[in-house]
Formats: sequence, structure tokens, C-alpha cells
Amino acid sequence: MVPVTNNRFVQGAWRHGADAITLDLEDGVVSSLKAGARDLVRDAVATAGKGAAEVFVRVNKRFLEADLDASVWPGLAGIVLPRVESPEEVARAAEALTSAEGKRGIEPGSLSLVLLLESANAVWRVREIIAASGRVSQVGLDESDLAASLGINPLAEYDPFVFARGRIAIEATAAEVQPIGIAHPMGAQPKLVPAEDMLKIATNSKNLGFKGIICPHPSWIPSVNTAFTPTDSEVNFYTQVREVFAQAIAAGTAAVPFAGRMIDVPVDEWAKVVIAMSAACQRRDAEKLAALGMAGK
Amino acid sequence: MAEEIGVHRSGLTMPVVTPRFVDNAWRRGCDFINLDLEDSVPQHLKGYARTLIKDAIANVTKGGAEAFTRINHDLVQADLEGIVWPGLAKVNYPKAEYAEEIQKLDRIISRLERERGIRPGTVEIGANIETSVGVANAYSIASASPRVKEFGGAGGYDMSRNLGVEMFVGFDQFVYGKGEVELAARALGLEPHTAPFTANTTGSVGDPDRAFREAEAARKCGFRVGGGLHPNVVEPQTRGFTPTQEAVDESKQVLEQYRELEVSGETWSEINGRIIDRYEADRARRLLEWAQVCARRDQEKADAVARVEQAGG
Repeated sequence: MVPVTNNRFVQGAWRHGADAITLDLEDGVVSSLKAGARDLVRDAVATAGKGAAEVFVRVNKRFLEADLDASVWPGLAGIVLPRVESPEEVARAAEALTSAEGKRGIEPGSLSLVLLLESANAVWRVREIIAASGRVSQVGLDESDLAASLGINPLAEYDPFVFARGRIAIEATAAEVQPIGIAHPMGAQPKLVPAEDMLKIATNSKNLGFKGIICPHPSWIPSVNTAFTPTDSEVNFYTQVREVFAQAIAAGTAAVPFAGRMIDVPVDEWAKVVIAMSAACQRRDAEKLAALGMAGK
Repeated sequence: MAEEIGVHRSGLTMPVVTPRFVDNAWRRGCDFINLDLEDSVPQHLKGYARTLIKDAIANVTKGGAEAFTRINHDLVQADLEGIVWPGLAKVNYPKAEYAEEIQKLDRIISRLERERGIRPGTVEIGANIETSVGVANAYSIASASPRVKEFGGAGGYDMSRNLGVEMFVGFDQFVYGKGEVELAARALGLEPHTAPFTANTTGSVGDPDRAFREAEAARKCGFRVGGGLHPNVVEPQTRGFTPTQEAVDESKQVLEQYRELEVSGETWSEINGRIIDRYEADRARRLLEWAQVCARRDQEKADAVARVEQAGG
């Protein structure tokens, strides 16, 4: 996530290997610069996409129409909608996107919505909020704003959002959209930590059910990419699982002990997921690498 | 008079197509045996597996265990026709996601009970929650049929695949979902069937020490239902879910002290640093009741095994 008004960040963002870049018009841009910031978005979308990242813009809820008008240009993947409180807001944003798409000759319905929930009300109403538009592709908690709206100052030792995070992961997965977010304490109090610590935290995020993390700083990106990519040892293990399971099926059973575990259908199914995910990550990395090479010339 | 309490501390889930598991099941001392038609049975053997259930029910219940069958989510009609026979105590339905699914099961089971001379309402439905949609609809699923008496899940391999998380990660990645299904169960007066988190990074299914620690932790969190995949875990689970003699003695003392308290007209007192009041008395009463039904169940199983042995195995 980079403020669109910070030219140095905008110019450098494509080099960091992120799968997605969000250009911020909201909290990263001070009020006096909001209007001028809109003029920067069109070029920034093109610049940010040079490394094959998907490009999003975080808009201001109260300037929705003007921000969308400034942001919807070819090359944009979608809009990050912050401070969502109701399904009506999501439906309104989706309609506004439809007219902006029409105006700019973009395929209707192609732009997605990434929702950020920042209040108890939003977490409670998450199911109807997600269901409000077929454009919703991802949903996440903005934990620092959630903490502020609840009037709490989280301590690293105690995770205040076990329930909220779990609810987002379950409801998003149930609705077939991607939950995004990071494990405690980096959601509520993002900061710079050594890469191995970030790798552990990002791995925990993946194992809470999240599918990705919006990084406030480029130094997070390599650890986050690594955490969400199956490791070689995982791929090896699950490749063996698939072999052992196939042999068991041939022998007339779908339950076979392996490495102290019991391998049955769901384990084999999960093995397929891990192996397919690994291949998809490799393809995506190759795309980004190719784009970097082109842009670097 | 309290409703009859099910005793399902330990159980083995086994592929019904593997004769050596099924033939030895009655000797394992389980409270229940779960004959599997689902994830442990290869696709090409599903039809054959169904035909084995009727005899398997008689076989696995010889030692006093109850017989359950886990059916396939997508083969409900054919599976139920093949398995609802006298002696079947429960149909386990995997990946339950909507109340309508449970209502459909209920209708088919009701008809089969009528046709096959089974007392109406005998066969329970285990609505197992294994996906996010199931968690999201937990309350409506749990309340869809009076045949649902135990309710839970929200962990395990299917849930992990649905959420895209690894199984053995050193923290509770299922805490929200398990909380939801437990609340739904408690709100409806059903027996919750989940487990508190105990760190497990190996995924071993046959470790008796782990099994005991998990069962003990679950009992202390108010759970009473177990089950596993390996014979090694049966005895530790049965033991872990059964109140210890020490706990039984202590509960008797608490009740005695509470009776004295009632006579004195006070509402609470403190004995050896422990508060004695109505809540503690209720807790003690429930523990003694559970200890009693566990002992009765153990006696039933011992008698059944003795009968088989007397008859020459």
C-alpha cells in the first residue's frame, strides 16, 4: 500500500515483487492534498503495474464518486473500500463502479471490490456485507482502526481479535471470497521486524485461513510471499502422500498410515491443493519476473 | 428426571471394507464403533461397502459398543437404504452445510425405520460440521431434527482444506468455528462434540499419552464425546473422559457440605479455601451422575464381552 501522493514510493513500488499494489487516496493522503492526489492516480496505476502486480486504489468513503472517477482507468484491478458499515454502502459502490466502467470503456463487472472492516458493527454484519455485491473478491479487517473504534490500545501479549479474525475467515470462505489479514500483533500495530519473525507471523496468518496480506512496508513482502507459497518440503511430503494414497486405493482401502498420520480422502485432497498452489505460485512468480525484466530494459 | 445421557467417550472409525478391523472391533472396549462408508472407502468400493453394513452392525456390537455408520455426503439415498437396520444407533453425516440436508436425512430414516421394524426415532443423526458454510449455518443445522443429539466438529482435515490451513501448526486455527458450534449445541441443549486445543505438531493418530491428555482436557472443559482412528487410543480416551475416583470423592464431600449448609440456612461457606454454594453443588451432582452412567456403561460392555467369551468367542 503506497500513498499516491508519495512520488518516490509510487515510482519504486513495482520493483518489490508484490502480487498486488494498492495506491492510497485515503488515510495515507492528508486532507489538503486529496483533490490534487486524484490527478495522480491514472499515471500511478500504469507505473505500479509495470512489475505485473495487480493494481488497486483505496478510496475515501466520503469522496466515493470523485475518487472512483479518478481511479477507474484501464489497468486497474479493483477498488479497496475502507470503513464499510453496511451492505447498502457496498451496493452503492458497486453501482458507481458500473457507471465508471461504462464511461471508461472497461468491461462491465470486471473491477473487483476489496472490503476493509473497521468496526464491531461491520464484523457483526459481515455476512450481509459480503453478500451485497458479486464484485466482492476479498475482505479484511483493518485492525488498528478497529482497535481505535473500540477504544482499545492492544498489547502485543494479548490478541483482542481472535473472534473477529476467525469470523472473517469463516464467513469469507463460506461466501467464496478471500479473507485477507495478518496475525497478531502486526494487524493492530504494524512495524518492522526481522525477516524470520515476519515469516513466522505471515505463516500464522496463512494458517488462520487468510489468503494474503496488505503490507504497509516493502520489507514485509518477501516474507509474506514465502509464507503463502508452499515450501519444497511440503510439496515433497504431499507428493509422497499422493503416491501412498494411490497405492492404497489400488489395494482396496482409502485409509493408510503414513509418517504416523492416517491418510484418507481429505488428506489426499489437501495434498492436491498444496501441489496446485505451488504450481500457481511458480507461474505467478515467473510472470512477475518476466515483467520486471521487460520494465528494467 | 434427567434425559438419558449418551456415553460416547471412545470410539473407532474404520473402513467397513477392511475385515480385520471390523472383525476385531468388538474386542476394543469402545463405547461406539463408527463404520465408515466415506473417506476411508475407495470410490469403486462404495456400493459393495454398503452391503457389508447389516452384518457388520451385529459383529461390532457384540462387545457392547454402539454401532454408527458414516455415510457419504453425496450418496445419501443409496447409503441410507443400505445401512438403516436394527442395531444401528446413529448415522454420521459428513460436511453438513444446510438444515435442509438434515431434514432430508430425517425423512428417509423415518421411512426406513417404519419399513424395517425399528422403533421410530431410534436412529440419531450426527451432523458433522467440516466446512465454513457449515459453521456459518451451525444453529439451523443443529436444530433441523430432533435426531441430532450430539453436535460438533469444525476442526480436522476437511475443515483445514476448506480454510486452506495446515493441520498441525502449534495454535488453534479453528477456535472461532469450534466456539460457534459449541455455542449452537449448548443453546439447543445438545451434547457438544468438539475439543479444546492441545498442541499437536505430529498428527500421530496412535499415541496413547496424547489421547489421554486430550480426553482429560476435553472432560475438564465440559466435553464428554471422544473417538479416534487407532485401537491404542480407546482405553486412554475412555479413562480420560471418565471422572477420577478423587473427583468422585471430592464431589461427594461437596454435596455433603452443601447439605449441611442448607440445614444451617446459609447460602455459601468456605471449606479449606473452597467455596461451597449451589453452583458447586450442581457441578458435583452432575459429575456424580456422569460417573455413574460411565460405570454402568463399563459394566454393560464387560457383561457383553463375557457373554461372547462364554459362547466360545
